[in-house]
Amino acid sequence: MRHLNKLRLATLAIIFAMLVLLPFLSIYQSYRAAYAYDLLAPAEQQFYDVMEWLSEPFTDDPAADLDMLKGTTWSANIFGLKLSDPLAVVGQMAAGGRVYAPFLLSALIPIILSVLLGRFFCGWICPATGLYELNSALSRWLRALGLRSPARHFDLRFKYGVLAVGLLLSMVTGSIFFALIYPPAIIGRELYYAIALGGFGAGAVFFVLTLLFDLLVARRGFCRYLCPGGALYSLLGRYRLLRIARKVEQCNDCTKCDVVCEFGLQPMRDGFGQECNNCTACMAVCPTDALAFRFAVTDLPAQGAGHLGRTHLRHGASPAEGED
Amino acid sequence: MQRRSLLQRVLALLVLAVGGSLPFGLSRFLAPARAADPTHLRPPGALSDARAFTAACIGCGLCAEVCPPRCIEFYTRSGGGEVNTPYIDPRLSACILCGKCMEACPTDALEVIPRQEIDMGVAKIDRDTCYPWLDRGVCGACVTVCPVGGKAINFEFANIYRPIVRAACVGCGLCVEICPHPALAIHVRPRTASV
Repeated sequence: MRHLNKLRLATLAIIFAMLVLLPFLSIYQSYRAAYAYDLLAPAEQQFYDVMEWLSEPFTDDPAADLDMLKGTTWSANIFGLKLSDPLAVVGQMAAGGRVYAPFLLSALIPIILSVLLGRFFCGWICPATGLYELNSALSRWLRALGLRSPARHFDLRFKYGVLAVGLLLSMVTGSIFFALIYPPAIIGRELYYAIALGGFGAGAVFFVLTLLFDLLVARRGFCRYLCPGGALYSLLGRYRLLRIARKVEQCNDCTKCDVVCEFGLQPMRDGFGQECNNCTACMAVCPTDALAFRFAVTDLPAQGAGHLGRTHLRHGASPAEGED
Repeated sequence: MQRRSLLQRVLALLVLAVGGSLPFGLSRFLAPARAADPTHLRPPGALSDARAFTAACIGCGLCAEVCPPRCIEFYTRSGGGEVNTPYIDPRLSACILCGKCMEACPTDALEVIPRQEIDMGVAKIDRDTCYPWLDRGVCGACVTVCPVGGKAINFEFANIYRPIVRAACVGCGLCVEICPHPALAIHVRPRTASV
């Protein structure tokens, strides 16, 4: 179980790599469709060759077949299956004041998965997560150099306010505001802009500002306190089936999980709640394997000090349960 | 006591509303509103009502990703509420009416419609600029390139070089892209506009 975190990081890396690769493939496709190889500049021909080498094992007719894999995490077309972010659907419903059924259907799979797995998108798929975690790592390195960032804490419920305000603004102005401030949408879009259109848009600046906010104000502050998508996923996953739970018999109160949790939750005090995104970082650092998945719609109530911990051994251990 | 807690609640809501709108305000500040450019066309199949289009488009970029001539661009750093929505500038690269963007669009911002019902605008010929209309030479590039054919653009009767736009024009803009005149003697404008 403790290797799940590595699997998660690999997933994030693959998704990010795909977001970089797809715009390049799109350019290659247009060259391909135009039979333009002989007209290209030498550098473009090199690019063409690389893309051909990359796509050759998978397709005979790149100009047509590569259409099967398009899009970003905001909205994608994967082998004919259209997938969209639930936030995009909610935003469109608010902005247009109506429901477009095919679009709603394209968000059905993410919605069902979120209801079952909770905020897993934030930990496992969101292309911004990897960058934010690198940002957290940067803040740790800076601390090692003596530059301590003020790790402020705010109310975790603030993001629900952002979600509500965003819905209200979308309704009033008739444009989908979430697309502007939602990091996964920004990342996918800006990578496309930068690669295929030749220049970042306004979203890139906003994303850099969120990185600075995380670095200088609150650790993972945007995801914790501001992200409207995180708010929506938290609400969807409130009664999720898959939860991380602490086995109190194996816990030794070392607080490593509390420290590593990017979302400021407290696994050691059984404080998971709807904010937990099942990222398994706490499971990976636990020295005694006291954290494990559990199928239930509610978290365990606070179980008190871990049985291997000093507090329990000194004060709480009754003869009956202390022997384990 | 009660009044005080009510006041506190109102204050908290106010802080929430102001704080919650800060990121949206910031993003709006980064992408200020701009004057509409009449030379920019929406991709084919776009909802005719501009407001409905903005409300339907989620800015995912799929239309541009599947576009073979890569003619679809986006308002990236400006546009106000229209930021991240797609447009086509036919002076740079025009739509070939392949219809891939209509199929790719996950929302109904771009609807799948038959080719003859596409209405991106209508071509207008500037007769004071167009070479054949000024008797300054022979051309016919726009008539040759038109993917719709003679019902959209053809030559004036008894003159085989002066182009005339007909009713079936869908406004794809290929004639604008190909026009050899440095000042572009043909341009696409919304069907309702006067010039």
